[in-house]
Amino acid sequence: MGLPELEQNRPCNSAGLGNYLWNDPPKEYKWADCVHCGLCLEACPTYEQLGQEQHSPRGRVHLIKSVAEGKLQVNEAFADPVFQCLDCRACTTACPASVDVGGLIEEARGQVRQAMPLSGWKAMASKFLLETLFPHHERLEAAGGLLKFYQKSGLQKVVRKTGLINIMPDHLIEMESIMPEVKTSVRKKYKDINVIKAKEKTKRQVAMLTGCIMDVMFSDVNQATINVLTRNGNDVLIPKNQTCCGALHVHAGDREMGRKLAKQNIEAFESSEKVIVNAAGCGCMLKEYPELFHEEPEWYERAQEFSAKVEDIAKYLYDTGYEIPKAELKTRITYHDACHLAHGQGIREEPRDLLLHIPGVEMVSMPNADRCCGSAGVYNLTHPEMASAVLESKMTHIPEDVEMISMGNPGCMLQMAVGVQKYGRNQRVVHTIQLLDWAYQKEEVQGGKNHGTK
Amino acid sequence: MVTDELIAKISSTYPELEIENGLVSIHPLGNDGKVVVYPQTEEEIASVLRFANENQNSVVVMAGGSKRGCGGLEESAEILLSLEKYKGIVEHTLGDMTLTVKAGTPYKEIQNYIAGFNQKIPLDPYALEYATIGGVVSANDSGPKRLGYGSARDSVIGMRIVYPDGTVIRTGGKTVKNVAGYDFNKLFIGSMGTLGVITEITLKLRPLQKYESLVLVTFPDGNPEEIYSFSVTFLNTVMEPTALELLSPALSEKLTGHSCFTLAVCFEDVESAVRYQVEFIEKLKPDTSGFSVLHQESARAFWNLLTKIPPNGAVEYTGPETRASVKIGVKNLDVIKVMKESHLLQDRYNLDIEAHGGLGHGIARIYLNGASDDVMNAIGILRTFAEKLGGYAVLTHLPLVLRRQIDVWGPKPAYSFLFDGIKSKIDPKRILNPKRFVGGI
Amino acid sequence: MARNKLDTNDPHILHLAKLVSGPNAILYKQEDLLAYDCDGFTIERHLPRAVVFPNNTEEVAKIVKFCSENKLPFLARGAGTGLSGGAVPLNNEIIISLVRMKRLLEVDFENRRAVVEPGYVNLKLTNSIADKGYYYAPDPSSQYACTIGGNVAENAGGAHCLKYGVTTNHILGLEVVLPNGDVMEISPNGIADFPGYDLLGLLTGSEGTLGIVTKITVRILKNPEAKQTVLAYFDRVQDGSQAVSNIISAGIVPAALEMMDKVAIEGVEAAAFPVGHPKDIAAVLLIEVDGIAAGIDEQIQLILDVCKKSHVREVKVAEDEAERARWWANRKTGFGAMGAISPDYLVQDGVIPRSKLPEVLERIHKISEESGLRIANIFHAGDGNLHPLVLFDSRVPGDTEKAIRAGSACLKACADAGGSITGEHGVGIEKKEEMRFVFNDDEIKAQTDIRDVFNPDRLLNAGKLFPTPSRCAEMKQELKRPEHAK
Repeated sequence: MGLPELEQNRPCNSAGLGNYLWNDPPKEYKWADCVHCGLCLEACPTYEQLGQEQHSPRGRVHLIKSVAEGKLQVNEAFADPVFQCLDCRACTTACPASVDVGGLIEEARGQVRQAMPLSGWKAMASKFLLETLFPHHERLEAAGGLLKFYQKSGLQKVVRKTGLINIMPDHLIEMESIMPEVKTSVRKKYKDINVIKAKEKTKRQVAMLTGCIMDVMFSDVNQATINVLTRNGNDVLIPKNQTCCGALHVHAGDREMGRKLAKQNIEAFESSEKVIVNAAGCGCMLKEYPELFHEEPEWYERAQEFSAKVEDIAKYLYDTGYEIPKAELKTRITYHDACHLAHGQGIREEPRDLLLHIPGVEMVSMPNADRCCGSAGVYNLTHPEMASAVLESKMTHIPEDVEMISMGNPGCMLQMAVGVQKYGRNQRVVHTIQLLDWAYQKEEVQGGKNHGTK
Repeated sequence: MVTDELIAKISSTYPELEIENGLVSIHPLGNDGKVVVYPQTEEEIASVLRFANENQNSVVVMAGGSKRGCGGLEESAEILLSLEKYKGIVEHTLGDMTLTVKAGTPYKEIQNYIAGFNQKIPLDPYALEYATIGGVVSANDSGPKRLGYGSARDSVIGMRIVYPDGTVIRTGGKTVKNVAGYDFNKLFIGSMGTLGVITEITLKLRPLQKYESLVLVTFPDGNPEEIYSFSVTFLNTVMEPTALELLSPALSEKLTGHSCFTLAVCFEDVESAVRYQVEFIEKLKPDTSGFSVLHQESARAFWNLLTKIPPNGAVEYTGPETRASVKIGVKNLDVIKVMKESHLLQDRYNLDIEAHGGLGHGIARIYLNGASDDVMNAIGILRTFAEKLGGYAVLTHLPLVLRRQIDVWGPKPAYSFLFDGIKSKIDPKRILNPKRFVGGI
Repeated sequence: MARNKLDTNDPHILHLAKLVSGPNAILYKQEDLLAYDCDGFTIERHLPRAVVFPNNTEEVAKIVKFCSENKLPFLARGAGTGLSGGAVPLNNEIIISLVRMKRLLEVDFENRRAVVEPGYVNLKLTNSIADKGYYYAPDPSSQYACTIGGNVAENAGGAHCLKYGVTTNHILGLEVVLPNGDVMEISPNGIADFPGYDLLGLLTGSEGTLGIVTKITVRILKNPEAKQTVLAYFDRVQDGSQAVSNIISAGIVPAALEMMDKVAIEGVEAAAFPVGHPKDIAAVLLIEVDGIAAGIDEQIQLILDVCKKSHVREVKVAEDEAERARWWANRKTGFGAMGAISPDYLVQDGVIPRSKLPEVLERIHKISEESGLRIANIFHAGDGNLHPLVLFDSRVPGDTEKAIRAGSACLKACADAGGSITGEHGVGIEKKEEMRFVFNDDEIKAQTDIRDVFNPDRLLNAGKLFPTPSRCAEMKQELKRPEHAK
């Protein structure tokens, strides 16, 4: 069981595929493992909100199977539950048989998009975002377009918030002051540098995916990642030809564009040994590139080689070792598991371990920490009602008495910032790696002043 | 005259059946029979019922007779079906910890027998000298240790029942878990023999406790608030009492010599765990409270004595006073209020009232002794009191004349039409224990 | 409230839609109903007429009354995790989904009870009272998802019912909508022994054929002071079974006593929560003891001794809570884990007197050989509740039928050993014919008589729980018809 069947490369209208009439349909071996036990139900944020089977993982798998059995058409009734899914992968964690519901959903979305292409403003918006904007770094940087995108969902204020210092305790403002101001994206900043050398002796060389949103909205996180990597003996390479990971496209059912981007990235990182990612959604996508190439054996193999090299920053540091900072941050934080880190990549303990080892960081555990926040790529744009219901549920679990919420994904950071704003909370939303970077920086500052000040 | 005919008729149909004239002496508690039959086999029981059903003869079912004073409005039915001679252990599977017994087997006999195998039926009903397992189950009798072990509905796993038309049905089975079909055991437990005659009962057993201690915490000030707050604190700990029974001052005096509200707390476990819990509760008790401990045999003697307190139909009573026993069900801790109320009623009606109730299960027992008017008045007050707390009061022992003046089971619930429906399906001619149960069933 | 526009002329649907509030409170289009064609039992599938999502008792009562007056078949559904098909709409029923009634209404720690709505998820109750040190005892393996309403319908068990009992032992009160739409409160306030026949006991486990429960008062328990879990590996199944009996005979009442055989171990080790059980052992026992800390060590020592005397290969005590949780996750996801070694499985739920374990396991082994299908055994050994999992591939023609026959043969083996055909999953559709293994016609009629008191028109969840009328009754019917036709 469980092995991808490459020979499934059948003609488009094969009778065995029921009502799936296009290339790259949902794979039978994926749904065959589902025994309909229902243990996934409570893990699913949309089922929690709607309580309806077709909006549960088990129900969606059932529908995907029903299309193959010819009981259901690829139509609006099928598309709704399939697109209502947040693709958070919590069901895969809950599933005793590890059914790849996320993979099935993405494949099903591919069928839907081919059966019923988007029309009207939805098509335009989607085309704009997915084809015109994300794959083109330079365009993304033109913040105007981006702001338009965020204004739509009321995210504007929040976006600012994440970059601003407000309602923060004094000692954090102080910490903020020691941070370098990063306004330009790291791709721009390092565009003329081939390799960013390790601060001291080079131990390893890694390539870094800068990501599209991450590098524009959260260039400071990318900078922090570089700082931490170089501080720990890594030479950092930023391949020029890299592009958007394609996760948003694949989530939206545009698998063709997904494949295009994937190929570009596979080529861009061909010569690298290790690909470091600080965005959980991107990391998960990169690791799943082979899923896109079931019908292209040659690329399937290259994708497998590539995905084996991909690693999340927290996991990489945890595995290869890093220096524990000496300065104390003195802050109470909580940690949110990004879906594509916890459920998508099984990374839960590593970032927590990293945070717990920063002196002075007190960790308050968040109940249901691995529950989706509702960001889910562009989900908060396509399904604003559901996204905000999921966010509301998430916010009730965030402890009151913490100063920061740490996580490992830019999408979550934006969504959580919306939550903090909307529900009048005063936490700062940070990336795990930023905390580590700040601790290093504080250490350096203190190291310099140590004698004089105390 | 009628009786002779009946005897002749039954005898000629079932010559083997032991039968006697019941009219020689009518019992003051009623629930007697003009003819008494003593079947010794299930077939005989079925035959008697079939006969009665065909001839529309009313049947009272009895064995030890300790619950004769509970329900029923007639001096005498046509037939008293006595299970006294239908007794014995059918099967005891040591490794399965299950036991199948005939309904007329005296409860105490069974416990003594299986104690030899270090096992027990985890029920502590009253009138142990007289009660039979069939009676305990039919009347759903339970005692203070219900907190630790539950009641008959938690221990009975299977039964054989003879329907009024003579059909024998099996309910449940021999396994400790079983959800095949409806949970029919429950229907017959506590049904006061109004649906069928239970002939065999299969029970799940527990290992006999390795050690047992009884802690007595007295409350000399008699302040209900203090009892309440101590109980809440104690119940919120991880201690595992198998009984947490509050005794009224009158009952406490009789059982322990302390004339004040007393909590009887039972621990049963391995010795180290029991001793740990005894020490724990000693540290926890209020400063003003007295504290004493009984271990093993003396603890058992205490509980044994308690089972003898309630009036029971099997013991002849010729005294001038009226004796009554009331079972009250309320929310667990409301038992404290019920105890206080019963204590106060003594003076008001010049009655002897002994009472106790479980703070972990909400069942209280109140035994009244005095002039019949006073007893009836006090019962009225207690019932109103219990109903105000959302509970109920059932008169588990009362002379026949008084049973005719008051509804033994209290008001009919809204769903009593379901009771009627069930009764009509199983006993359409209403021959079994007529008018002995809720709503005149 | 947002009222969705309905795209139908069906007067029943239009009327039903008016009885429920909230968004998307009714599903009626075939595509939307597809996901409701089965529950955790997937072999029989039927589409419902509609699915309605009431928010409160009043809405349930209105729906039921409407169905009753218009003679529309209906049934209640919780999370749909049942394993015997109890929520499958055999007769094109209107499904009353109770998932929106999922509030925890009250917790009364002092009197140790909680009041929940039927759609409240089992594990959520324990989670929401855990901070005060309390829990809800019945813990079916599906407790992450299954609802307490469903637990009541099925009288659900779980791993820990050996010591603490099954659902019925923890239900103190019920509010129920009868099949005619009347709302009744049984044992109000959860007070014990309310006078009358024990309707609480009768309703619990009635598989949704007597009424629809809309409010449930349950007993909650204080967490035990201490817990210890032991894992024991045996080279022979008989030794494992013997150890089970010996532990119980030693006077220990473990909180749980679970067993898995070789095939089952292969499954759980290949799935999401492996713990590294050796591949070559014949049986693993998971034994949990809880209670007063001062007494636990003594009991654990006794268990270790018993295991050693029963030729255990290896026995160990969980070192910490994390290890204990890993062992339990491995066991509790056991059924679903079979997906990792087989495309389909059919789980059975026989129960036998504990002492018959070795002989029944032997018979199941024979059934497996004869059918050519692998059978994994995951079971609550302490209370003799077997879960043979028949592994098959529904894509192979004839395999499904073979599996059903093998499953039925396993139940026959249990019944023959003095046991029963279901210990906790219920009869539903799946085992209704097997009811004849344990009950005769009189006994079945006695039960259907009681059903007819509650559910005289048989509109509520018809066709479940009881076998179709017996052969001879059917023959009589057949014989009558032609005569009548003349």
